[in-house]
This record gives sequence, C-alpha cells and structure tokens, in this order.
Amino acid sequence: MYMKRSDQMPVSNHSQIKPRVWMGVAAMLGCLLATAAPAQQAPKQKQTLSFVVANWDNAIYQTKFMDECPDGPAIGNDENWWRWLSRAEKDKQTERGLTQPVDRRFASVLRGPKGEDVCWNPTVIQEAPLRTIKGKTSYGFNLDGAGDDAATPKSCKHENFTGVDGASGVDNQMYRLLGCHYGWRHNGVLDTFGNEERRNSGRGVVLIEISGIDDPRNSADVSVAFYRALDSFSIDSAGRILPHASYRIDMNNGKPRYGAVAKGKIVDGVLITQPIDLKLPFYGNSAYAEIDLRDMNMKLDLTLGDDGKVRGVVGGYYDFDKWWEYMLKIEFLIATGDWSCPALYEAAKRLADGYPDPKTGECTSISSAFKIDALPAFTLHTTETAENRK
Amino acid sequence: MMAMIKVPQDIKAKSRVVVLAALAMLGLSACGDSEPLSSGGPATFRRLTETQYRNIITDVFGSHIVVAGRFDPLVRTDGLLSVGASKAVITPSGIERYAALARSVAMQVVNQQSRALLVPCAPVSAYAPDDTCAKVFFAKVGRLLYRRVLSDAEIEQHTKIANVAGAARRDFYVGLGYGLQGMLQSPDFLFITENTEPNSAKDSTERLDGFAKATRLSFLLWNSSPDDALLKAAETGALNTQDGLEQQVDRLMSSPRLKAGVRAFFTDMLALDDFSTLEKDTMIYPAFGLAAADDAKEQVLRTLVDHLVGRDADYRDLFTTRSTFMTSALGLVYRVPATVPGGWSRYEFAENDPRAGIQTLLSFVALHSHPGKSSPTLRGKAVRELLLCQKIPDPPGDVDFSQFNDPNSPSKTARDRLTAHSTVPACAGCHKLMDPIGLAMEKFDGAGQLRDNENGSVIDTSGEINGMKYSDAKGLGQAMRADPSATSCVVNRAYSYAVGRTIDRNERPVISHLEKSFADDGYRFTELMRRIATSQALYAVSAPPVRSAEATNEESKS
Repeated sequence: MYMKRSDQMPVSNHSQIKPRVWMGVAAMLGCLLATAAPAQQAPKQKQTLSFVVANWDNAIYQTKFMDECPDGPAIGNDENWWRWLSRAEKDKQTERGLTQPVDRRFASVLRGPKGEDVCWNPTVIQEAPLRTIKGKTSYGFNLDGAGDDAATPKSCKHENFTGVDGASGVDNQMYRLLGCHYGWRHNGVLDTFGNEERRNSGRGVVLIEISGIDDPRNSADVSVAFYRALDSFSIDSAGRILPHASYRIDMNNGKPRYGAVAKGKIVDGVLITQPIDLKLPFYGNSAYAEIDLRDMNMKLDLTLGDDGKVRGVVGGYYDFDKWWEYMLKIEFLIATGDWSCPALYEAAKRLADGYPDPKTGECTSISSAFKIDALPAFTLHTTETAENRK
Repeated sequence: MMAMIKVPQDIKAKSRVVVLAALAMLGLSACGDSEPLSSGGPATFRRLTETQYRNIITDVFGSHIVVAGRFDPLVRTDGLLSVGASKAVITPSGIERYAALARSVAMQVVNQQSRALLVPCAPVSAYAPDDTCAKVFFAKVGRLLYRRVLSDAEIEQHTKIANVAGAARRDFYVGLGYGLQGMLQSPDFLFITENTEPNSAKDSTERLDGFAKATRLSFLLWNSSPDDALLKAAETGALNTQDGLEQQVDRLMSSPRLKAGVRAFFTDMLALDDFSTLEKDTMIYPAFGLAAADDAKEQVLRTLVDHLVGRDADYRDLFTTRSTFMTSALGLVYRVPATVPGGWSRYEFAENDPRAGIQTLLSFVALHSHPGKSSPTLRGKAVRELLLCQKIPDPPGDVDFSQFNDPNSPSKTARDRLTAHSTVPACAGCHKLMDPIGLAMEKFDGAGQLRDNENGSVIDTSGEINGMKYSDAKGLGQAMRADPSATSCVVNRAYSYAVGRTIDRNERPVISHLEKSFADDGYRFTELMRRIATSQALYAVSAPPVRSAEATNEESKS
C-alpha cells in the first residue's frame, strides 16, 4: 500500500490550510537557495488534491414559480391510472385498503392491457405526453459543439439551452425530461434519498483526484482521475460527512476498478476538464447502477464553501439503457417520486439526443448534467479490492 | 465503611534519616559515580490501580476473563496517581463494586469453559467439597494474587469457605468460586502491602522483604504482579543479592511486557486518565468524536513506547520528534492521510509541518483545552506541571473571568484577551509562567486542529521560556528539549512512581545520582528504569519496621 506523498495538503483554498501551502513553498524555496547548484533548478513539486463526492443530484434549474413547467408538474403513475378507473373499480381498490398512491403503487403499475407491468413494458399503453421543461436556461455543457438545434454526427436534432452562466448551446435533455417531476426537483425525494443512502451505506462512493497541480489557483495542465472508494464515509455525530478522511481506491487486477482520467486545467480556482468517456459507480434508492457518461465534462470550483465543500457540475451523454435500467430498479419509488413509466419512456426516447445508432438513426443516450459537491479527502492507492478488503 | 490508609510516619526515624543522608552524601563524594547509599523512605500500603487490577486478572487467569466494572478514582498526589494510591479511600460503594467484580471474575474462573484450564486438579466429585484440590488451587492462585506465599491458616480459611459453599450448592466448583471471591475481595489482594525486614542481623536499618521487593519491581516494569519466577527469586532470597536482582531485572526488561510498564508510567505522568472525562463540543469540532479521543490517548502511548523502548532513543527528542502513529479517526482531526483504514500506521509529520513533539499531539493540545476553545493557560500549566514538574498555584477564588470570556470583547485572539486578563496583579504572577508556553500552541484549536487565524486575526505563537526565545510550538519543543527541568522531571517522577510515594528528603542524593546517570546514559529511559530497578534505594526503608504476620510470629518466638 502506498499513498501519493504529494497529497499532504488536501485542500487548495481552505483558510486553515493555505498557510501550509505557503510554508511548503517557502521551505522549498529555502532548500533551493541553500542547496541547488547555480546551473540547476530543482523541479517544482506538483500537488495533488483529492475529494470525496458527497452529493450527486440531477442539475435542475428551477424558478420560484415553476415557470419552466408552464403545463404544470408531470402527471404521476397513480393519477394516470386512477383517473381512468370506473367508480366500481375505485370502490374495489378502496375496499382493499388501497387508499393512498403509495399503497396502490404495485397495483397501479400493472395496468397494461393484459395486466402487464407498464414500467417493464412501457410501450404497451400510450399516455398523454409527458409535461417537460419549456424554459430556456439550464445547467450543463455544450456536448455536441453545436450552437444551434441541428443534428450533428454525435447528436440528434434537439433544442439547446442557454447555460446558467450565459453559455450558448447547452445540451441537457435529461433536465427537459425530468425537470417537471417533484421527485427530481430541489429537495425531491429521489436524489435526496439517493444521497442519504449512499452516505449511510458507504456504497458507490466516488473519489476525484486532481494531480499535477502547480498552483491550486491556476494550473495549465492537470490530470483528473475518478475512482470508487473501498471505504465508507466518515460521519460525525450529527450524520454529516467529515472532510479529510482517507479512502482506499477499489482495485481490480492491479488497476483501479473505476479509474477514468481526464486532462484539465485550473483557471482562477475552477477546475475545467476536457471531455472523456466516464463510467462511475452509483448507489442510491436501494439500487446499484453504473453511471455511463460519454463526453463527460466537469467544472469544479475548488474554493471551499462555508460548509467545507467544493461544488461543481458534471455533464455528458448518459447511456439510455443504463439510465432506464436504474429507473426499473427504483420502480418501488414510483409513487413517492411521482412519475409514470409509459409517458417518461416515450419522452426519453423522443428527447434522447446523443450518439445516434448508425442503423436506426435513433439516439442512444441523453445529454445530462449533475450538480455535485465534494469534501477534501485523501486517496490511498492500494492493492485491495472490494472482494478482499479488510 | 470507609478506610483511610496512610503511609506510617515516624518522627524518631527522621533523625536516623538525616544521619544516613549525610553518610550517603559522603558516600557519593567518596565513590564518584556509584549510587549513594540511601535510607529510603517509608514502606507503602497502596491500592491497586484499575489497570493493575485488570493486568493481574489477565496474567493469572487469562485474557478471556472479562473484568466488567467500575473502580473508585484515585487522587493525583504530587503529580502521580500512583502516589495518590497510598492515600486511597475506599467508599462503601467502592467495596460493593469490588465485591461484584470479585464474584464475576471468580465465577468465570470456575465455569465449565475455564475450570479445566485454571483449576490445577480434579476433585474426587464435582458435586461435593474436596479439601485437597481446593487447597492446591488456593495455594497456587493465592500466591499470585497476594504476591507472596500464603500461610496454612490463610489457605485453610479459603478452603473452609469453599467447602461450606460447595456443600450447600452441591458443586465443588461453585464452592471454589466463593473461596476465590473472598480472595479477590481481600485487602491482601486489593492493596500492595510492603513488609520490611532488617538489612542484616547486625544492622538496625530496614529494607523491603523479598516479596515486597518483587512486587515493587514487577509493578514498576510490568505494571502487574510478580510472576512465578520472580516470586521464586523472592522466596529463595535471590533478590537480596545484586546479581540475583540484576538477573531478574534483565529478565523483566527483556520481556515485551516492559511496554505495559512504560505505558502505565506515562499514562500516570502525563495524566492521560483525564481522557476518561474529556468532552468536546461536536458542533464546533465535528471531527473530534469518541474514537478520536480514544485514539489520541493511544497515539501518544504508542509514540512513547516506540521512541523510548522500540528505538531506545533520547528522552529529550520526544519534544521534537515528528514520528508518530495515525488512525482514520485521528487523520480526520490532523487532516492527514491514514494509510491503514481501521488500523494503526506509522506517520511522520512533514518537515514543514507545524507539529513536532508530543506536546503538539492531540493528547496534549486537545486534552488541555476547553470543550469549545483552546486554552493557552491550561496548556502552559500542563507543560509546567506534567513535563517540567513545576507546581503552579491554584487560581484565587475570586478571579474575574468576565473580561476574558466576553464575547463582545474587541480582543480577537487569546493572546489579546490574556494580556488584558493578566494585568490583574493577582493573576499576573502565574499567568506569566503559563501563558507564554500555551500561546506557542495557539495554532492548534481546542480539538488540536491546525488553524492559522483566530476570529480573522493572525495568531502570534512567539514566546520565551527560561531565556530561550521561540516562534512557534516546534520552537517551544526545542526549548523544552534543552531544558534540564524536563529530564530532571522524568527522573523524579519515575522514582516516585517506583516507590509509590513522594520522594523523601533523604533520597535527594539518589535522585541527583539518577539524573546524572540519565545524562551519562544518553537520556535513555529504559536505562533509567534499569538503574532505578537495580538500585539499593528502591528497596531501602527508613520508617519503622512493617512485618508480615508470619515474620511477627517468628520474632515473638525467638
């Protein structure tokens, strides 16, 4: 087991750590003056900063009066079912004690013509079109490089957003798809439960390791690695994730099980990565899933907030099949999350905008963006795997 | 029932002590570096500490015997709990707790799982008393628990209890358990009783008898009762010869159990028992939980044992060492990586890290702070009292803290607030001794976490101790390393710990000799322990004779 020695200082801009950086620089400078030969200069020591992702939320841009959803909130599974039942059928259900949507969730999904589960068979019935985002502003990135709505070799025709920061050509069809569901909006049950479960279980913990840093404020060439941690979060007595914990990287056959590396740069304390294809572990809402993002971009503000966290946005094309697989795994939350599978599936297929299938022309992924926050941490490069961990 | 046990004092003995001390001084000057003859101090009568109790049970019966219970606290006296143990009070509830513990331990020893291993003989019937087997058991176990050979009457007494209980319960082992319970409640077990004997037939001076010697030696080096070999050496009189004593000291010091002895001494010297009542405000210091507190105590003990025993290094380097050990819980507070999650790993603070020396570890800076803020005064007091053995008087009863604690005070740093506070003449004298030391550690907050400002103001950690100026906690460590008080302190404490009482005035020449030897030995702590353990002084007794019952009988016959 070894640890990268250069990550002794885990935080770039933390007020308590900053002097250590300067002390280190001063010490290095002192050594340089004292020992270096006149013709030689000691190589400048690169820093590594590591973080553990605490929260991973769909990036939903929302206004005070929900103007981005002019048709209203998306209609959920129960309403789509209950409103078409006869009074006799409603009476029967009520007599069975199924008075609340959450009680009826298993009955309500079995509403295919032959009693099929409409999540596993989302095309067996047709529902009113999903109420989607109609606003013009969104978090995210311009993934296809196009400034207009036209198709490109890597994208289907779709409507672009203007970024929250004013950038043009922002692609985030996942927001268009999910943004009018209460379950995915701010403090919605789905991301909140997901984050809480991940925090409590320690499953699917994502580490970000930024290496090759010359200066935490400005660095032209850095590497950004994404790992899965073997260890659970360190939690305080109030249930908050603690900073500065050490996490082993999950290894497999001598390599990190998840270990995508992006190139990037730090500009005025903000890390900006170049696109890479990224797979990340995910656990939440009692479901394991794998986030599969193509052309993943990340912007991470390395300045610690008052809560000791760094914040940023991750975006990319989310593999459609993997996303839908996750939706099936969390079907039991259909009432609390308040979505309807047939309408959602139809809209998702329609809004998918990334990587068209060469044969069918149908897009196989959906542009998406996620808000993340993360805490300073230490990454331990080990030989241990999830199977043999102690 | 309340029993107050005090070391016997004898006025008459003091005149003899003065003469002996003078002779000792002469001896010192005549013999150069040899140990001055000491008339010692009074024999002691001390209560076992909790750790000693637990160690003995583990050593005699095995680590599978659970000692689940609480113990009456000891009062720290002259810097050490082990000295306070000789003035111990047992409260009625304390006696009840000892009884409950004794019953619990005894019944575990004789239960189905343990009896084959721990009872050295088989009874004729498991359902009836067996005199012979009970006596074998009590003779064997009693010798280890009482740290001496038991008289026939004592064995008979416990056998009788076992027989009565065994007959009533129709179970030999239950009866044996009752007899053992009686032993574990006996003052002979719970108190270290030091009996004395004349140095020789011609000499009226006293020394500890063989068993008391063995006991002092064993508690000093292992913090437990003597093992079978040491008791045999006491029985045969081997401990009364220098060769025999040195052989046993070598044996004890080459054992891994020496670490337990070193840990026990420093737990006492550094007042690490205060961890049992340490509380931090988790809203202010969320990273400092129970696990961090437990590990902080263990961290300094591991650091001490590694430095002093593992590396046999210079004691003074403890104030400058960057080497320590780390766990996940500690890593959160120190904000450094812990390379063995769930376990301990070696850790070396970087050269430019503000931490170096045990006085910068959490066991010092967090322990000597308030629950929600640091305290230069508490830290300074701890350095003076625990590490330099200098007594700081208690604050006056009417001290006014309002200025210091005023949340609206324009003073942003502790230095500013203390400067205002210490302008009060009644406070200034002591604060001048404590605050400059504690202010050097102000870059560590109340939980011991690193910080560079307090309320947005830069923290000034400069100061001066004994004419040596420093700019931060590391500089303070350098100054402490150079301070002869630090080495003198550990010598005094170690000797006082070994004898279990305050150092007697006539023992000063011995202490001076030990201090010089400590320096000659490169300030190696293990050598200091060896010198104390093999010294004549450790076993010399100046006060009136304290005879065992057996010795008293023998004397009356003659």
